[in-house]
Amino acid sequence: MIAVWALVALAFVALGILAYIAIRSRTRPVDLEKAVLAFRSLDIDAFRNLVDSAEEDFLRDNLPPRKFREIKRQRAWAALIYAREAGRAATALARIGQAAQRSSDPKIAASGIQVAENAFRLRVQTIRTGLYLLTEILLPDLQSQSLPHLVEQYNRAAETLFRLGRFPSRRDPVARSKSA
Amino acid sequence: MLGSGWQRVLLFFLWVTPHALLAVVAVITWKRRLHRELPCFFAFVVYEIGEFLLLFGLRFVHSVSGEVYAYIFSATLLVSIALRLGVIDEVSKNLFREYDFLKVSARRLLQCVAALLLGIGTLLAVYAPGNNSAKWHAGVFVVNRGAAMVQCGLLLSLLLLSRFMGLSWRRPVFGITLGLGILSSVDLATSALRAEFTSPAMKEFLNLLITGSSFVCVLIWIGYLLVPERKPAFPALVPHDEVEIWNRELQHLLKH
Repeated sequence: MIAVWALVALAFVALGILAYIAIRSRTRPVDLEKAVLAFRSLDIDAFRNLVDSAEEDFLRDNLPPRKFREIKRQRAWAALIYAREAGRAATALARIGQAAQRSSDPKIAASGIQVAENAFRLRVQTIRTGLYLLTEILLPDLQSQSLPHLVEQYNRAAETLFRLGRFPSRRDPVARSKSA
Repeated sequence: MLGSGWQRVLLFFLWVTPHALLAVVAVITWKRRLHRELPCFFAFVVYEIGEFLLLFGLRFVHSVSGEVYAYIFSATLLVSIALRLGVIDEVSKNLFREYDFLKVSARRLLQCVAALLLGIGTLLAVYAPGNNSAKWHAGVFVVNRGAAMVQCGLLLSLLLLSRFMGLSWRRPVFGITLGLGILSSVDLATSALRAEFTSPAMKEFLNLLITGSSFVCVLIWIGYLLVPERKPAFPALVPHDEVEIWNRELQHLLKH
């Protein structure tokens, strides 16, 4: 009997999710500027600092174990927020890529496919990073591996975006507050 | 519970109307040439119409006993389940077809979800077979319950995955997924209840629920098939060289 009511409850939850997705899908045009701002809003230096293994070794050597675990959890949590924002930026880029893909200009359409494809990869990468950081939060005594590729290459992408003439080069205030 | 006249009329209306509207869905699908792109969905729609005509006809043939009708109903239900799974597969292929990365990773993820749901469905069939497991048609509803769970889970995974990854749907495909999702969710609830509660009143109430959800599902399909695709706003905003810069930088970003 419990199984029956559990399935009925599951069916209702599924209906709720379907209704939510249907309603949200009607009001989501591609917002290029917002996507670019989201991409640029990540302070890559702060993120690099948070996931730097040398920095972690220094903290491990100079702090009592309990304090070290507390600080490490806080750092991993902050880095997780960055990974989440990077994931959101990737989602926005994917949408832009797909919109470009429907262009009548074959060059734009072909580039759009590649942008979308790479954005999907980036999204998956941020999920993997998020899982890794979650493990660090749960098991702070675990020895960290650094995430240099993600950091350095993201930095290059952000710099390129600054060079795009269309968008103002000032740093987003949200990013400043995040990096503080 | 639903023995009175107006309830029977409502049940009859909800049984006939969705199938009549399915003919409209078939015509729109054909006219928009979607039958080439979504052949399994088209086959499913045509099959559902044919199945309805057969069952509707049998209802008025006096020589057909209730037992024979139930056999035929169960056989057509099993084919319908297979076709629905085919439609889900078709929708996922359509969604990921342009992206090599998703073709592999997302489809692999969906296969894992399907295997997991199938396992849960089998366990449920073994450990919670319902009240009347001795009767074969109750067994069919248990199979339908498991299938509805797999379908519902797959469709939800597909929708949530696309939302999570920022995947854009083409309107007809989204409409098909949404409609089928609603139908599968209601099917899951009703078949779970049907396997447990077998009174005639409950049966009629559940019939009303499932026919009502079919009606909603077909209306969603018609709506999404008729509405034209959104025009892309992107090319006017960003010239293609900027897209290429983005692309190049993202490739750098992802290179290990």
